[in-house]
Formats: sequence, structure tokens, C-alpha cells
Amino acid sequence: MKKTLIMFLLLTLVVTGGLFANGKKETAPAASAAPAAVKKAEPVSFEIYYPVAVDAPIAKILNGYIKDFQAQYPNITVKPVFSGGYGDVKTAVQTTFEGGGKAPAMAVMLATDLYDLINSDYIVPLDSLLSTIPDKTAYLNDIFPSFLQNSKYDGKIWSLPFQRSAVVMYYNKDLFKAAGLTAPDSWDSLAADAQKLTIKGKRWGIEWPSGWPYWLFQPLAIGAGQNIIGDSDTTVYFNNPKVIDAVKFYISLSKKYHATPAGVQGSWGAAPTNFAKGSTAMIVHSTGSLTGIIKQANFDVGVMPIPGKVKGTYASVPGGGNFYILKGTPKAEQEAALKFAYFVTQPKYAADFSTKTGYIAVRKSAYNEPEMKAYLAKVPQAADTRDVLKYAGKELSLQNLGQVRNIFHKYLQAAYNGTMTPEAAMAQAQKEADASLKDFK
Amino acid sequence: MKQKKYLPYVLILPTFIFVTVFTVWPTFLSLYKSFFKQRLNIARFREPVFYGIKNYTQLFQNPEFINVLKNTLIYVLGTVPLTVLAAFIFAQMLNNKFKGIGYFRLAFFHPSIIPMVSAATIWMFFLTPDYGLFNSALTFLGYSGPQNWTANPNLALFAVMIIAFWKNAGYYMIFYLAGLQNLPTNIYEAARLDGAGYLRTTFAITLPLLKRSTLFISTIAFISAFQTIDHIFVLTKGGPSGRSTVLLYYLWQTRFENLNIGKASTITVILIVTLLAFTLSNIMLSEKKEPNNE
Amino acid sequence: MSRKNIKHIFLFLIILIVALLWITPVIWSFVASLRPLSEPMGRGDVWFGHRLSLGSYIKAFSLAPFGRYYLNTLILVTMVLSVQLVTVTLAAFAFAHYKFKGQRLIFTYILLQMMIPTTALLVPNFSTIRILGIYDTILAIGIPYFGSAFGVFLLRQAFLSIPRALVDAGVMDGCSWWQLVRHIYVPSAIPTFTAFAISSISWHWNEFLWPLIITKSDTARPLTAGLVRFTQLGEIGAQWSLLSAATMLVIFPLLIAFLLFQRKFIQGFLHSGLK
Repeated sequence: MKKTLIMFLLLTLVVTGGLFANGKKETAPAASAAPAAVKKAEPVSFEIYYPVAVDAPIAKILNGYIKDFQAQYPNITVKPVFSGGYGDVKTAVQTTFEGGGKAPAMAVMLATDLYDLINSDYIVPLDSLLSTIPDKTAYLNDIFPSFLQNSKYDGKIWSLPFQRSAVVMYYNKDLFKAAGLTAPDSWDSLAADAQKLTIKGKRWGIEWPSGWPYWLFQPLAIGAGQNIIGDSDTTVYFNNPKVIDAVKFYISLSKKYHATPAGVQGSWGAAPTNFAKGSTAMIVHSTGSLTGIIKQANFDVGVMPIPGKVKGTYASVPGGGNFYILKGTPKAEQEAALKFAYFVTQPKYAADFSTKTGYIAVRKSAYNEPEMKAYLAKVPQAADTRDVLKYAGKELSLQNLGQVRNIFHKYLQAAYNGTMTPEAAMAQAQKEADASLKDFK
Repeated sequence: MKQKKYLPYVLILPTFIFVTVFTVWPTFLSLYKSFFKQRLNIARFREPVFYGIKNYTQLFQNPEFINVLKNTLIYVLGTVPLTVLAAFIFAQMLNNKFKGIGYFRLAFFHPSIIPMVSAATIWMFFLTPDYGLFNSALTFLGYSGPQNWTANPNLALFAVMIIAFWKNAGYYMIFYLAGLQNLPTNIYEAARLDGAGYLRTTFAITLPLLKRSTLFISTIAFISAFQTIDHIFVLTKGGPSGRSTVLLYYLWQTRFENLNIGKASTITVILIVTLLAFTLSNIMLSEKKEPNNE
Repeated sequence: MSRKNIKHIFLFLIILIVALLWITPVIWSFVASLRPLSEPMGRGDVWFGHRLSLGSYIKAFSLAPFGRYYLNTLILVTMVLSVQLVTVTLAAFAFAHYKFKGQRLIFTYILLQMMIPTTALLVPNFSTIRILGIYDTILAIGIPYFGSAFGVFLLRQAFLSIPRALVDAGVMDGCSWWQLVRHIYVPSAIPTFTAFAISSISWHWNEFLWPLIITKSDTARPLTAGLVRFTQLGEIGAQWSLLSAATMLVIFPLLIAFLLFQRKFIQGFLHSGLK
């Protein structure tokens, strides 16, 4: 035991020694870098918080862009901080502000976080910063309008779209062909096709994840003729008869047509592979899973917007993250950060980012880039993911988003699970949401 | 030791300082803030406004919060006693000498080495509807109920409880095992000569002798049951319909999703009071029975 | 075959079955980690793919600096435990050995820490860390735990159970307080120290929320917080083989270490306590 103790103490010494040595190491380069940079006009360095999941080697791609950017602007140093997911980045920003720490100049957070970020006084409007770029109007016009929907408030622009996606339906073209079916163009044909393609115990006609349900539900509501959110930032339409219709349609897919698992489907993670494996004929999911599905599927993959209630209508909703510039950072850093955001959304980079990650390129002109054209020739479905944007409504974003979304989830899932009727659930959701928004009017 | 009156205080000082800075002070801060309305996402409430005890009354009138308390109670009372009991049984089973016993101990202990986030990820996979092995195994045993564990309103809380049970039972087992191996063997010899059966020996000798182990284990089990929500984060996000939301997760939601600082502070205070009640009673019970302590 | 033997075989079988059940999730995850990334699992195809592949491990390594996470976690648990051992021993000794004014009050005060989860105090503690200027360091993850009421509580109990005669003999011999700690108290409480050490290491190895908040960069993040990028499914679906590989990378070394040392580990409890 004595020996172990001594070993342990030694280890501790070594380790704590290493800790201090590390601390020294980290400060050293900063100190020596400063005098070297003085020669340049105005050296600026800024931090950017960026979420990375395992979707793609995002960190590697971003670091490549940063290298290119710094080559063009030698006086600017970009220091990326890669965190886990969107939630982590937002929490990191929050805790930084509340803890009185130095915020990063820029962060990529969900487009829908807009109101919380404005109200909490974390972000600055980009209008005056944007006026420094040469082709401001052309630039903004080139961004897909659905992606800009959640950037505007109070007549100002607060964020720039970057890592964006949308809800789509993937369908197994081979199965459809074999059954003599064509792609559905209405709720009725969707339900009928799903029913026909279901083989009990072997294959579902459709999977529609609803563990975190609002996003994949929205195309249904839009398809029914009433989005759950409108132009107002304090009004929701949960108990609208059309929205209730949408809830009923979702439930009917399992109750009436037996074409999808009953109740809430906690299958966000498993759905794409289920689809690629052929154990489900259609899935509703993010455009972000396209790359993975294509890689794994040995059949012709179809991508389309979600059919609406009326024949020939379709719907979708965008998702994903935008660049935000944070308050309290020096003007020079903010300007440098905006330059970076502008730089990586140049058509060339937007196209590159899209082909490497599977996200939708945020700019129309990116689709004219040779690299993108070559990619589309190989993966024509990538053009379909872009084309669903035509049918995209506004993603749920309003004041008090966290609470309202929780309320909606709670009652939508109660309806899905059959613990409440759709009417009662949506009425209660509306009541609670209205109450929670009272303070914001 | 009388000439150094200050010595005990000096010895306690480091602990005292850390406890003050990182526990007592922030607790008082939370208590103070619980009397204010402060919501980061409403411009006019960004600075705290005095609110009396309204945060408390509103919470206790909110059926959602009552539901959270209920879930918490089910979670804690459902996992702690069962896990401790299983730990004791496992320890009894593995307190034998046969070849390869180490591998068996490893089999039960290994989940405690796995961080809860990873354990939850493994279980998310394990619980997958349709082809997850958990369902396959249950189907094999004749189960035909719903398979969607994390999304079924009646199963979600149960699913996260199973994970906690799986993860912790082997951990607590080690403490029991150590306790068992420290027991004097001559008592058992005597009991056997008296003709006492296995069950009688367990209840009359083993359990009383392991009282201290049980106190230790149940204390850490209670604390960790209240403190660990990583699996809820990964698996259910408190859903569906809030059916697996427990107190700490609710605190997290209120604080970081709803940005409601006043209410979050209030929940912190309630959480602390609940924990104080649980652990204090646990400790007081044990102290009472050991009069030679002071 | 004697009755005793049959009983033993029966017991063995029960243990075997439960043990198999217990390891299934991890074994399955391990098998999944060896599937090629291009062959996802599906209904009726849940074990091995057409070939074994280390592709998921290679990808997992390329997505996160596992070496760094390991080192950070190791530094963290060692640092916390070594500081704790000092603070806890001193305080427990003071409470067990001396009688002084306010003893009960101070003891209760310290016990507060045991009942108030640090997780609940995330936000105020974050500000404190900021004031101390150690945000995004390993020290910041560990410092709230440098004092441990739990340890004080445990050790005090262990110290109190030491026969008073033994301590008195030491005092008669003119031992200084430090010699008493060193030669009488600590040696008699080794099992408690071991138990405390295991629980401390395990707690900090597993902790997730606090390190996630208090660090932002890979240079300070421990395994749990670093793993977040794997557990968040993000926009795409779960890549079970990749998730599994990342999990295996985290748990393998520890599993092997426990397997190798488990005898010493358990016997450490046993023998040192009976000396």
C-alpha cells in the first residue's frame, strides 16, 4: 500500500507539474506574436464559436477556410472554438455574458434563436457592418429568401445564413416503381402509397420522427394551409382547425393506414439508416442526412418536399444555423468577423461547403459554380434539396421560443400518443402558449 | 493538544473555504435571486425586479411543476432502493471463490466506468425500436407491448430508470463486496453450527453488519439520483409531453431554454431543500444509532 | 455429486445468465463499432457486417482529439483526488480528534456541500470561475470539488471508529498531531480512503454538465464533454458504428485496467482493513 501511495504522489506531482508547464506554454506564443504583428497595420484577432456534430469533418473544413481567409487578410487572425452542438454554443455564449467574460465576436447559432438573443442583448444588428461590403444588396438578394426569414426583425438584419438545411421527404424510387406507384402529390396519395408499401413486421410505408416534433410537423401544418407561426413574433396558431387537421393526418398514418409506427416516433437517429436499409419506404428528415443516405442506399433515392393536403401542393421548412455577431466585442473584431462571414459565403465557398457537408448552399449563385455543377451531376438529389426551398414556410421562431416550443411539444406528443384528442391538445397548447407570451406583448 | 487551540480550525480551513465559495455562497445567491423576477429574454425584466414569494406560489400552482415533482419522486424512489438491493444481491452472489470470478465482477462493474453520456448513447442504440436487442430480447421472452421506449409516455421515465439501474448497481456492488469481505468469518461459522439458514444469516448477521456500507451506498445513490440527468439529455429530452422531466432537468430547461433566472433560482432552492430533507434524514438516522460517536 | 456441488453449479448458472444480460449492451455496441461505415444495421441484420472494419475508429479519431481528452480526464481526476485527500484528511482528523467550540455547527455547515448538488449551482459558480480567471482550464473543472464534505463525513466516521486507546497511546508517546495522522489515523482508515478515492474518481470521470459549461476548447475538455460531438445526432441520423467506436475508445482502457487490477483492487479493500 505504501508503494502505491508513493507512486500516486509522484504521479500527482508529475501531472500538476505538467499542468503548470502547459499554462506557460500557452501564454508564450501569444507574447512573442504580438511584436511581430505590430509591423502590420492593425492586427485583429477574433474568436468564433462553432458547433460541430459528427455530420461531417466540419472543423477540418472550417480550418481550411480560415487559412484561405487569413492568407487574404494577413492582419486578421481567426480563432475557432468548436463545441458540441447548437445548444452548447448557445449555452457557452450565455454563460460567457452572464459570467462577465469576454464574448467571442461571432458565433454560429440556430436561426430561430433570434428573439432570445436580441432580448438578452447578446447580439448586434448587422446593417451598419454590412454597409462596409461592396455588393450589399446583390449579396442579400442572392441568399435564398427562406433562409433569411429568421434573420429579420424590427427592420434590421441580425444574422447571416450559413449552415442551412430543410425538411424533405426521402422515398425509395425502386420500391415505388416495383409497386407501380409515382411520387405522392397529396396527403391522400401519400397515405395510400405508404399503406401499399407497408409489409407488416418487415417494412414501414413511412417513418416520421417526432421525438423533437415541431420541425418535422411544420410542413404538415403548412401543407394543411396554416403554419403554426406567422409574421407576428407573439402569435401562434396551434388551435387553428387546419393545424388540428395536420395533427389528425399524422395520427391517421398509423391509426387508419397502419403505415407508420404508432404514437411518438423517437427515431430521428435510426430513420435514415432504416430507410437506406429498405426497412421503410419513405422518411421525413433533414436534407442534412442526404449524403449519408446516398452512401448507404443501394437503390434510387428520391428527394421531394412534403405533399400538402390539396393535390399538387407541397411544403417544407428550413432549419440550421446562422452567423451572429456578438455584443461587447471591439468594433474592429466585429468588422473582421463580418468579413469572414462574407468570405465563407462567397459562391465558391458556399458551393464547396455544400458539396462537402450536404448542407444546402445559402446562395443561389453557388449553384453555378463548376464544382457544384460537377457535384450535381453526380448527386442530382442535391438539386432537389435546394428546390424544396420554394415550398418552405417560416420555421417556428418567436419571443420566448424555448417555453413556447416546450408547450407545443408537450401537447403535440400527447395528441400523437393518444393521451389527448388533437382538438383538446391543441386548445390547451394555444392557451398555455398565449399565457406564456403575455409578458412579451 | 490544549496549547494549540487554533489548530483544529486551521485544519478545517481549506475545506471550509472551498465549501463557502462553491456551495454556500452560490446557494445564498440563488435564495436571494428567487425573490426576484428576472427573465433574460424580456427586455424589461432583464434587470431583476422584486417579486416577493410569487415565484414559489406560481411554481406550486403550476400542474407542470407538480408533474415534475412526481416524476422526480418516482425516479428517485424507484431507482435507489432497487439499485442498492440489486447491488447487495450481486455482491452476495459474487462473494464466492471460483475461477474467473474477476470476469464476473467486471461484467457487473463495467457500466460504472462508462460515463453516463456514453451509457445513454449505447442504450439509445440498444433500445432502438424494431431491431434494438432490448426489444428482441423482450419479444423472445414473450413481451408484446410497445417498443418505442423513449417516446412512449408510459415508458420513457422507466427507460431512463433502467439505464441508471444498469449503470449503478455494479458500482454499489463493489462497496458491498468490500464490506462483505471485511466481515469476520467466525460469526458465520457459529451461525452455521447453530443451524441458521442462508436467509436468516443474511438478515440477522450480514445486513446489520453492513449497516455502515448501506448508509454510505444509499447516500451516494440518493445524491447521484438527483444529480444525474445526462441520460435524460441524450435519450428523452424530458419528453414525451414532459413525462420524463425530473427536477434538475426542469431547472436546466427553465434556466437555459426559457432564460428565466428568477424561476430557475427558485427551483434551485426547492431542489436544495428536497435534497437536504433526504440526506439529513438519512444521516440523522444513522448517527442516532451510534451513541459512541461524539 | 454432492448437494453442495449442485447448489454451486446452480448459483454459477444464475450468475452467468445475469452477467451475460449485463454485458449485452456494451458487447453489441462493440460489435457495431466493427461494422463498416457503409453497412448500417437494420432489421434482421444486427450483428456483424460482411467484413470487420476499423473504419469507424479511424473516423472517430479524426473527428476528435481523443488523446488530449484522455490526458485531460486523467489530470482532472488525479488533481481533484490528490487535493481532496489532503483537505479531507485534515478536516476529518480535526473533527474526530479534537473538541472545539462550534464543532457541530461547522460540521453541519460543511455537510451542506454534500446535499447541494454542484450541478444545481452551475450558473453562480460559473461567475466565480470567471472572477478567478480560470475559465476553460482543467483547474476550473476541479476546483469546486477541492473540498469534499462527503469525504470529511466518511473519514470522520472511520476515524471515530478507531479504538481511543490506540490514539491515547500515541498521545502519551508524545506524537505531534501530524504523527498521529500519519501513523495512527490514516493507516487504520485505508479502506475508507480507498472507497472515497474510487467514488471520487468515478464521479469526476463521469461528470458531464459542469465540464461542458466551464470549458469551451479541446485543450481543457475531458472525455465526457468531448464526446458530446458524437452523442448529438445533429442534422443527420445516428451512425451507430461511429458512435459505438467513440464510446469504445473511451471505455476500453479503463475496462482493461480494471480487469488487470481487479484482484488487487478488491483485496486492497480486504487486507488493509484487517491489519
